[in-house]
Amino acid sequence: MSTATDSVDLVGDDVVGNLVRAALLAALMGAFAFVSFPNPLNPAVPVTAQVLGVFLAGIYLGPAWGGFAMALYVLAGVLGAPVFSGASAGLGQLFGPTGGYLLSYPFAAALIGALIHGTDGLADPESVSLPRLVAAMAAGTVVIYGFGIPVYWYYLDTNLVAAVVGAGLAFVPAELVKMAAAVGIVRSEEVQAT
Amino acid sequence: MLGYEPGDTPAHRLDPRTKLAVQLCFAVAAFAHTGPRGLLVLTGVTALALASARLSPVSVLWDYRFLLPLLAAAVLFELVTLGPPWVDPAAAVDPLLASYRTLLIVAVAAGYVRTTPARESRAAVQWAIPGKAGRLLGAGVGLVFRFLPLLRRDLAAIRDAETARLGDQRPTRERLATVGAAGLRRAFARADRLSTALSARCFSWNGTLPRIRFGVVDAPALMLAAGLAVTAVV
Repeated sequence: MSTATDSVDLVGDDVVGNLVRAALLAALMGAFAFVSFPNPLNPAVPVTAQVLGVFLAGIYLGPAWGGFAMALYVLAGVLGAPVFSGASAGLGQLFGPTGGYLLSYPFAAALIGALIHGTDGLADPESVSLPRLVAAMAAGTVVIYGFGIPVYWYYLDTNLVAAVVGAGLAFVPAELVKMAAAVGIVRSEEVQAT
Repeated sequence: MLGYEPGDTPAHRLDPRTKLAVQLCFAVAAFAHTGPRGLLVLTGVTALALASARLSPVSVLWDYRFLLPLLAAAVLFELVTLGPPWVDPAAAVDPLLASYRTLLIVAVAAGYVRTTPARESRAAVQWAIPGKAGRLLGAGVGLVFRFLPLLRRDLAAIRDAETARLGDQRPTRERLATVGAAGLRRAFARADRLSTALSARCFSWNGTLPRIRFGVVDAPALMLAAGLAVTAVV
């Protein structure tokens, strides 16, 4: 064990609270990887709730800590926590077909947080208007696919049409279901934002 | 499921930073040499990495089986054309090699996952990213490892309760919202209790981590990493 001899520097209460919420949201997103639902539009590809985690991170933690939570998710997965789809882990995932999606999550969550909360302080998600919620999540989804499709195309050396169909169109309908679910969660009054 | 297991393999004795360097350099080299000859050499390196962690290639492939449809889709899209000659094997060669490259990179990374405990990974993060940013990330990664099994159990309990009330016959959107809201409520409740407990116990920026240091066993692995990096450049 290493020992430190400098004086103890306590972490402020605000930072502790935000760090712990971000870490638990990242872990919840990892737990979502184990939960799959039947896809109403395409029974062959079951829906996992992971992108729902990106939406929730932006909505409940805001741009800075939401982005941080997703960075924690990616880093923990790279370092061996089984949080990626199929309960897998490892640096190899960043170089795999879903690598672009993983890299996009911190940016998407930060964008969703910024569009919902602005840059000065957090608003209560329940008070945010429905169009604003949906627009923010739609923008986040564009970021996710904006990273995911080109990376799939580049990594797998395939043509762009194949990438758009194979990595994009097959999954977009499921994202609409997750957006509706996220709105349901925000409006459910079950979750207290603060 | 692939995860850390204590052991005494050569890979367990390596410094986590060495293992991360080998993975990164391997990935860079694999992207630089995606021809049949390059991949043949890299297959040898992968076999070495798996052997040093005593992992069987079959079990690794099984753990990452969900990748296979995504990889196969890329190959199939190129193989099948929407007109004569209908099947174009020459076009499918590049995606096939790229898919194989992905499997090799994933297999090498699996060696790290199997042989590196979370504490060492955290120490490597805080070594690589100095200052408070690294410490926040390190502490956060530690918490994700610690709380993932608990939240998985929470979600399983929520789903059991949902099934008992015939929730599995509801539309997917409603089920996602129910499970998501209940999961988030439990996660935030745990977070609030934990942050109070951490503050009460003087959670500090300078926590004690395991000491990581390079040993004699790291030398050949670091040379391998340097060799892979050099081949990527020349």
